[in-house]
Amino acid sequence: MREKDDFLKTNEIPAILIAANYVLASVYFFLIAFYFKPGNPYLFGLLVFTEVFHIWQAFTFWYTISALKAPERKFDPNFNPPVDVFITVCGEPVEIVEETAIAALNLDYPKFKIYLLNDGFVRNKKNWQEIEALAERLKIGCITRRVPGGAKAGNINNGLALSGAEFVAVFDADHVPRPDFLRKTVGYFSDDKVAFVQTPQYYKNHADNYITSGAWDQQELFFGPICRGKDRMNSAFMCGTNMVLRRSAIMQVGGMCEDNIAEDFATSVFVHQKGWKSVYVPELLAEGLAPEDFRSYSRQQYRWARGSLEVLFWYNPLFRKGLSFKQRLQYLASASYYFSGAVILINAILPVIFFFTGQVPLVISTMSLAAIFLPYIFLTVYTLGVATNFSYSYKAIAFSIGLFDAHLRAIVSVLFGKRDAFSVTAKRSEAGNYIHMVIPQLIYDGIVVAGVFIAAARGGITPAFLSNLAWAFLNVIIFSVFMAAAFPQAQKVREPVRVAA
Amino acid sequence: MFSQYVNQYISRVKVRISRDKFSREELEYEEDRVQAPGLKKKWFARKGAVFAFIFFLMAFCGAFSYFGLMGQSLRLDEAQSMWQTRETPRAMLNTIAQDVHVPLYHLILHYWQVFFGNSVAVDRSLSLIFFLLTIPAAYMLGKAAFGEKVGIFTASLVALSPFLNWYGSEIRMYSMLLFFCVLNQYFFVKIFSAKPEHRRKGGAWAGYFITGLLGIFVHYFFWLQILAQAVFFFLNRAEFPKKSLSKFIGITVFYILALSPWLYYVFKLGFAANTQPLLPRPTSVDLFNTFSQFVYGFQDNAINTVFVSLWPIAVLFAFFSLRRDRRTAERRKFPTYGGYFLLASFLPVILAFVVSFVIKPVYLPRYLIFAVPPLYVFVVWLLFSKYPRRLSIAIASLLVLIMSAGLVNQTVSAATPVKENYKQVSAYLDAHAAPSDIIAVAAPFTIYPVEYYYKGDCQIVTLPIWDRYAHGPIPAFDASKLPSQISEIAAGHTDIWLVLSYDQGYNSKIKFYLDTHFQRLYDQGFSQGLSLMEYKVRY
Repeated sequence: MREKDDFLKTNEIPAILIAANYVLASVYFFLIAFYFKPGNPYLFGLLVFTEVFHIWQAFTFWYTISALKAPERKFDPNFNPPVDVFITVCGEPVEIVEETAIAALNLDYPKFKIYLLNDGFVRNKKNWQEIEALAERLKIGCITRRVPGGAKAGNINNGLALSGAEFVAVFDADHVPRPDFLRKTVGYFSDDKVAFVQTPQYYKNHADNYITSGAWDQQELFFGPICRGKDRMNSAFMCGTNMVLRRSAIMQVGGMCEDNIAEDFATSVFVHQKGWKSVYVPELLAEGLAPEDFRSYSRQQYRWARGSLEVLFWYNPLFRKGLSFKQRLQYLASASYYFSGAVILINAILPVIFFFTGQVPLVISTMSLAAIFLPYIFLTVYTLGVATNFSYSYKAIAFSIGLFDAHLRAIVSVLFGKRDAFSVTAKRSEAGNYIHMVIPQLIYDGIVVAGVFIAAARGGITPAFLSNLAWAFLNVIIFSVFMAAAFPQAQKVREPVRVAA
Repeated sequence: MFSQYVNQYISRVKVRISRDKFSREELEYEEDRVQAPGLKKKWFARKGAVFAFIFFLMAFCGAFSYFGLMGQSLRLDEAQSMWQTRETPRAMLNTIAQDVHVPLYHLILHYWQVFFGNSVAVDRSLSLIFFLLTIPAAYMLGKAAFGEKVGIFTASLVALSPFLNWYGSEIRMYSMLLFFCVLNQYFFVKIFSAKPEHRRKGGAWAGYFITGLLGIFVHYFFWLQILAQAVFFFLNRAEFPKKSLSKFIGITVFYILALSPWLYYVFKLGFAANTQPLLPRPTSVDLFNTFSQFVYGFQDNAINTVFVSLWPIAVLFAFFSLRRDRRTAERRKFPTYGGYFLLASFLPVILAFVVSFVIKPVYLPRYLIFAVPPLYVFVVWLLFSKYPRRLSIAIASLLVLIMSAGLVNQTVSAATPVKENYKQVSAYLDAHAAPSDIIAVAAPFTIYPVEYYYKGDCQIVTLPIWDRYAHGPIPAFDASKLPSQISEIAAGHTDIWLVLSYDQGYNSKIKFYLDTHFQRLYDQGFSQGLSLMEYKVRY
């Protein structure tokens, strides 16, 4: 049977596999962009744009995972300075917070102080007083903000202002640390240049329903090979929870960035700019909860997309002084991932445009395209499997692709400066029918069906028609896997979350 | 005595099964066998069921071939084989040496004809025997690599394969090549999988050596399989038994030495390649058609276009192969065998394609028939190991359905592109050509099947005119000589019946000339690329 941390156990990926990926992708791109005869110039331009994006993402991914072994680092197990443990709370059910707090109390570490950073009051959550009562009952600290602002970053900054230890561990309310969390992380701060230590997130409820499993499958790729690869280049970034911070490093950049809803990502850029180091510890040291319903999942993804794109637009890592070339590359790759919404939409509408107009981006034999595309995509898929120790699933890909509309909204919001409130991911399933949230995908299906009839009536069953039909069918199937998450059954929790007595 | 033998056999099976880390079903079965009493009977019942199923597949293919394929018209290549093997062995070797093939199949066919006669059905049955034997061989191959389930399903696909069935009853060497290749792959897998305690036994090496030696005398393309094995060996040499490198080198050197007298003979005769049809340079369409044929067989253009144009759906297979693999870390690794079957399926095809581009066109899907069983093994293993159970059953069922439909359609459809209906053409000529007429065929080598079936009194000649019994290649077509050659054959005859097939680039010129100089009385297509015309040359 699998073990829960299998995704962290990938050994080095064979260099020949990475090299073959580079070669096949390069051949594919070169032939598409420069060799085959272009069709409609606008569609050709769009296709090349999407291929540039794919190549950029693929190359940076392969570069990131090309070596997974962590660099030699100073780790002193006897380095045990006092630590403040922050548990950020914003309306989560008390029993969930309690489980985390109790786990924090059980941390195997000589000196630490726990604070519930209670944002319930400023966010008008009904249970903010219950959180205070919980803190009192458990005899731990509780800092309830009275002045709003800065969302989660503001909450942490408020905590930093009212506490004093040089090192601060941060957990979301639903992320339960293991007793050895501090033992396995604080020792890295014996190196004076280390600003933060990040550990993986693990969704202990990943088997509970369709959404939690999809969300977790996505996370495994990121917290597995990607974070390990970034760590090699001193480019691991904070992920909001399961991390330990050096107060002086954070304060040097003005605290957690309050201007960005992905405060952790933005703050990491600033910290790295100042020459600080980061560490990623590929061990499961805390267990959390994945969003259990479609709305929460979509909001979470939108927030991450919006925050990352804001970093790209407002604090573009490419032009930030102090970052190394590899750090610029890594930040750029991570932030630009969220442009995929636009790219997916373009790729999806190319066959639809053919159905309605007969226009194609390339005038080539469909077999020629197959000859270069299939080896490239098969090898990419296999590499994804190898990189994640065969944890990454088609559901994860479908979720990433199907969520294109959320990513598009994030792009539009950032471009037009639309303000969004920070929303905390619900920790309990808000089960329901969310079909209305997948209307763009449903519309796509409808257009495809109409387009198929129109194209067949116009030109008959030609090879071009058939291959465009197959592309559209491919999109419809992938969207369907995603759309299934919007049905009530998908959010049905198979097993209730267990709460410590 | 018998029970002692059974126990020894079972213990050998147990050792073999326990070292086969990929055959989970067998391991589970073995656990059952050890734990439960009286399971020897069950073991035999199970093995009996498997053997019965394999026998059923063989019987099915035999019956299908007998009723569906044996009666079909002789094709050009078959006629050539029959014509070549009717000569004395020495003359036959001379002819084959001038051809592009190695002689083992023709020698066996020659003696087969001596013992059993030389009708089309008798000659085709030789190929059928090798094809039928390939079914259990494919089962053994699949089982040796990935376990019994893969073996059984691979054998089923082989039995249902339209492509393999077609060449399983063709009077050519392809089913023999297929059989030796599959056995050779089986022994190769056995060499690779043998644990140290079994490596001293030379059975697998002996089998590998013998099947390889026979294979290189059946078709030159057998070397592509050896090449795929060599690549696999060098990529995984640490996992092979000790001294494998020297053994492989020794075997290969022996093969080269064994083949060199034949190569010298061919060289001495001067590669008279003009007796063979000209092969066009392959395109990416041919490449995909090859794999399409490997799975769906030979379908008419409309059906083939549908199959091939829907290739983006293949991306879905890659997509759905990504899933949380709940097996142990050891089991979810891509097995080394997988790499072998991938290489054996694709490398020969790619190499033949590249050679055809860079050196000389040699690309014909039937030459690559040995890539089909490893492809099936690989696909079946993928289906049963990488996909959710229900999805794998659905895909497997769909595959069986499509292949079965392809097999039936390929057999009954008149539009099947590889059909050459010389039988019907000749029957028409029998009925309509008068003794004062003359029959001209182009390309010249298509005279063999016409001659085989035509029982009338007309003289049969070729365009360009070719004396088969004279030494040397077929004369090249010369447009300037066409009028004189047509005058020569028309002299003294009333009508010219022109049989056009296997266009070598000049059939349209011949037809154009006759169309513009004589009255055309008849024009009919009989199968794809095969047409018959009648011209009045004298009143």
